[in-house]
Amino acid sequence: MLLWIAFSLMTAAAILAVLWPLRTGAATRAAGTADADLAVYRDQLAEIARDRATGLIGTAEGEAARAEVARRILRATAEIGQEGAVSGGDRRRRLVAAIALVGVPLLAGGLYLWLGSPLYPPQPLAQRLEAQPNPSDIAILIRKVETHLEANPDDGRGYEVVAPIYARIGRFDDAARAWANAIRLLGPSAVRETGLGEALMAQAGGVVTGAAKSAFEAALAADPKDPKARYFLGLAAEQDGRNAQAAAIWSALAADTPADAPWRGLLGDALARVGAEMPAPAAASGPGAADVAAAESLTPAQRQQMIRGMVERLEARLAEQGDDIDGWLRLMRAWSVLGDGAKAKSAAGQARQHFAGDTAALGRIDALARELGLGS
Amino acid sequence: MNPEIGHYALVLSLAVAILMTVIPIWGARAGDAALMKVGTTLALVLAGFVGLSFATLVVAYVQSDFSVLNVVENSHSAKPLLYRITGTWGNHEGSMLLWVLVLAIFAALVALFGNNLPARLKANVLGVQGSVATAFLLFILLTSNPFTRVIPPPAEGQDLNPILQDIGLAIHPPLLYLGYVGFSITFAFAVAALIEGRIDATWARWVRPWALTAWAFLTLGIAMGSYWAYYELGWGGWWFWDPVENASLMPWFAGTALIHSAVVMEKRDALKVWTVLLAILAFSLSLLGTFLVRSGVLTSVHAFATDPSRGVFILAILVFFIGGSLALYALRAPMLRQGGLFAPVSREGALVLNNLLLTAAAAAVLVGTLYPLALEALDGSKITVGPPYFNLTVGALMLPVAFAMPFGPLLAWKRGDLIGASQRLMAAFGAGIVIAALAAYAQGGGPVLAPFGMGLAAFVVIGAVAEVIERAGFGRVPRATAFARLRGLPRAVFGGALAHAGVGVCLFGIIAETSWNAERIAGVKVGGSFEVGGYELTLDRLEPRNGPNYRDLVGVFSVRRGGVEHGTIESAKRLFTARNMPTTESGIRTMGFSQLYVSLGDELPGGGVGVRAYWKPFVTLIWIGSIIMALGGALSLSDRRLRVGAPKPAKKPKVKPDPASPVPAE
Amino acid sequence: MTRKGRRLLVISCALGMLGIAAGLVLFALNDTIVFFRTPSEIAAEGTRPGTRLRLGGLVKDGSVAHTDGTHVRFVVTDHGADMSVAYVGLLPDLFREGQGVIAEGVIAPDGSFAADSVLAKHDENYMPKEVAEALKKQGVWKEGEATP
Repeated sequence: MLLWIAFSLMTAAAILAVLWPLRTGAATRAAGTADADLAVYRDQLAEIARDRATGLIGTAEGEAARAEVARRILRATAEIGQEGAVSGGDRRRRLVAAIALVGVPLLAGGLYLWLGSPLYPPQPLAQRLEAQPNPSDIAILIRKVETHLEANPDDGRGYEVVAPIYARIGRFDDAARAWANAIRLLGPSAVRETGLGEALMAQAGGVVTGAAKSAFEAALAADPKDPKARYFLGLAAEQDGRNAQAAAIWSALAADTPADAPWRGLLGDALARVGAEMPAPAAASGPGAADVAAAESLTPAQRQQMIRGMVERLEARLAEQGDDIDGWLRLMRAWSVLGDGAKAKSAAGQARQHFAGDTAALGRIDALARELGLGS
Repeated sequence: MNPEIGHYALVLSLAVAILMTVIPIWGARAGDAALMKVGTTLALVLAGFVGLSFATLVVAYVQSDFSVLNVVENSHSAKPLLYRITGTWGNHEGSMLLWVLVLAIFAALVALFGNNLPARLKANVLGVQGSVATAFLLFILLTSNPFTRVIPPPAEGQDLNPILQDIGLAIHPPLLYLGYVGFSITFAFAVAALIEGRIDATWARWVRPWALTAWAFLTLGIAMGSYWAYYELGWGGWWFWDPVENASLMPWFAGTALIHSAVVMEKRDALKVWTVLLAILAFSLSLLGTFLVRSGVLTSVHAFATDPSRGVFILAILVFFIGGSLALYALRAPMLRQGGLFAPVSREGALVLNNLLLTAAAAAVLVGTLYPLALEALDGSKITVGPPYFNLTVGALMLPVAFAMPFGPLLAWKRGDLIGASQRLMAAFGAGIVIAALAAYAQGGGPVLAPFGMGLAAFVVIGAVAEVIERAGFGRVPRATAFARLRGLPRAVFGGALAHAGVGVCLFGIIAETSWNAERIAGVKVGGSFEVGGYELTLDRLEPRNGPNYRDLVGVFSVRRGGVEHGTIESAKRLFTARNMPTTESGIRTMGFSQLYVSLGDELPGGGVGVRAYWKPFVTLIWIGSIIMALGGALSLSDRRLRVGAPKPAKKPKVKPDPASPVPAE
Repeated sequence: MTRKGRRLLVISCALGMLGIAAGLVLFALNDTIVFFRTPSEIAAEGTRPGTRLRLGGLVKDGSVAHTDGTHVRFVVTDHGADMSVAYVGLLPDLFREGQGVIAEGVIAPDGSFAADSVLAKHDENYMPKEVAEALKKQGVWKEGEATP
């Protein structure tokens, strides 16, 4: 409300700037050009006289200069009478007033409504930090935790809370640092170690580096069954070119994986990549049990074809219901595994469009895109 | 403060600027005083709104309001307050807003202090100024809106380019803009006069103060920019012939020519056609500079904004104003009455020479700047026109200017006595020869041109003093009379002489630095030392230090000459953590007018660090000379003759009658 | 002298001076322009040693070698051809392997490039324009990508 009052007052001021001088009524004659010229010439004459009095210029020089100025004065005087009077002023002024009254609000208002965001309040940083946490403002939540951690650098819980958020919005350096701090302060656990490993991996663009690998190994030391750590260790083996070892790790993991675990699809893809098969129990989500069974009895080419079909089904589903972030990520990975970088890229692009406002989702998409080497 | 207030103020400014373009010019054509006066109030209101808009943006920066995209992209909450404020114009959008603000302020100044102007001229001037404001406000609103918002707001900004995070750069654009945009007023005067179809000696008198103001600011702005590049870029150079520097130098040459030819026009009613052209050119070159910088057509160290749609928009503005004004000029100039006559050897003749050389220099810089562009457009080959070209052409054109400079003021109007003037410059000439001889002795061999140039510089400085002494009549009239006359001399005389002396000082610095500087590049370990320009520098220690948003690696050098301690120099390699961007913080130690300059390179594998050190004799004179020039301009500006003009136009009878009227107000 | 004669004299002096200035500009231009080339172009054209050039491309990964405090050698590549560059001096702040660079200097008799100045990109969003275009032509770098 206050904003609109301010806008109105400003508009009024602009209009008044036009109306005020018009109020002076009828024919005030403008100071003529010749009048102003004459004044300057008189001043020049006075200056010459001063210079002569102080001896700055000689008599002859001064006389010549005087004559020249005098000629200009004569010319200017001749022009004085020629500047005609004004007529028809009132109609013109009314027209100008009307233009100002209508044009200014119309132009300014219209342009502003097109360009401006009047309903969006200012967001000074200090205020945002003080105000009640708004759960949708992830950035500010992070800032608050950071401020808190600056004051209490030994609060391990704080690091543990903020680390996955960092990872989700793509700040992997910070995520890795936060996980490392959490481990230092709270001791190792499977979740923390895998978190650290994942962050390090994302930082390295999807490569399971030595540091990431030892983090995953530490996670297994804390919990030998941790599925994430096992999956990534498999990935490490694959990236090192030890496909057989990768297949062994993943097969063992798949055997331990409940049928409805969301990462079964991922695991299936991974196994397909190293040429191994997905052992039972079959998954409920991801490839259907029947599909997997069918896949086992096919030639490699046919299998490839079938997997493509599955991926295309997923794609069709996502085209209708786009809010499934995990689905999108799976799609990106699947296309990439099938060696179709262009499709993977377009999936990433569509996913970004769907989650345009959602920083967390975008972070995950970007992270995966980076991991898969899709560029951005 | 709500950014939306600023946004609305900006939109409203556009509406006001459009009215300001139309109403006063219409009033002037119809001879309607009330309509013409609308221009005055609108100019004030425009400055108010643009000012409000700019202030809102500054507040958004100070408060780190990250709901404003411009703040997100160019600020950071960890930045010191000062740089948060200066960050407002350290980016494209903000700097364009500043540009328009300066434009509006100049228009408001004309509105406020232009009461002595003929009403019609004033109305036309404000109208033209309004049209320029309209074009640039449209540009800002449509292509570079600083008030674009982001939802949701991020929690942290993306920092300012650290190289721009510097006090020199913080003040340099506003100064430069005061100069650039100041010429919009002379442009407006020229176009207004052409619209009216009459230009008299008085026109020059109205224009001179504005031209002088713009020129003085531009001089300061260029000097400031040069000093910034000198100490911030870490290459020890103070002028790179970078397109952006050229863009500011061209209007400076044209503006310098303008303030001189305006004198001829005012005193002698001559060179009118030429002066008007210069007024148009000075601003056209400013616009061209804006285009070159903002469109990103040229690769340059300043290229912090490149966007083709912006480039096209500015190009359209450029074509409209330059093309339009030149067309108007072509149409109207032949109708202007010819003015007074003069002999080639005369004050006028000297000023014509100055004008020719200065505009030729501006043209040479223009050719050098645009030639690579033209060639690339024609056959796609990529070339660079480097410093040698500019040094050769501008140098060759400026040396005669410097040599003729002391003669000009000593020649009489209309018909001068060259021999007489030379006799009166004997002392200055002698001083020049002595300095040249001393310089030759001091350098003992080396470049021949150096002593010659220094002698010339001394000749210019002493010649400026000689002019004042001569004017006062020392040696010809009794001393008491001479002192009285000295006091009676108009300030413009002192101002002119001061500015000329500044040129000499600057020239001395340039020549001494370029011919005598010493450079040393070395790898140094802690405890090691090297020699440059007769000084021995020892690297005492290398230490890390932490700043608010950067980390420094500082090298501390102790300076000795002939075993005598001369203090220490600290030079740093700075890493801005937010962008992981390193910069060089050169260490500079000033000794007299000379400087020792040390910058750090990379750390070397075997320990130690690469160091580049320079001995820069008399380098500070370059900037001191520029400041003296600007001061000369300011002194001239304070001359009452430039402020006086006509009495205020008679308003209503009840207003207190001016007793002096119609005698010159003073 | 008559009015006309005087004016003519002033104007002809002016024209003469402008002529001299124009001649100066042309002379200087002819002597001082420097062409921009990429390593592939130099290889293709067989540019003669001694020619002054601006060489643009990317600093090849792993090619930078400091021989002592101030002598540096590195390789400039456009992924089509490589060119070895020798430089004496401090490298600019933003000189990094894999990043765009412009070196100005002459081709030495042995076919390497002796640079007397080296420019690196000025901030992370900025790639020297010539380099960006040359690389685009080679298909190495696309608009919008930070670095290849």
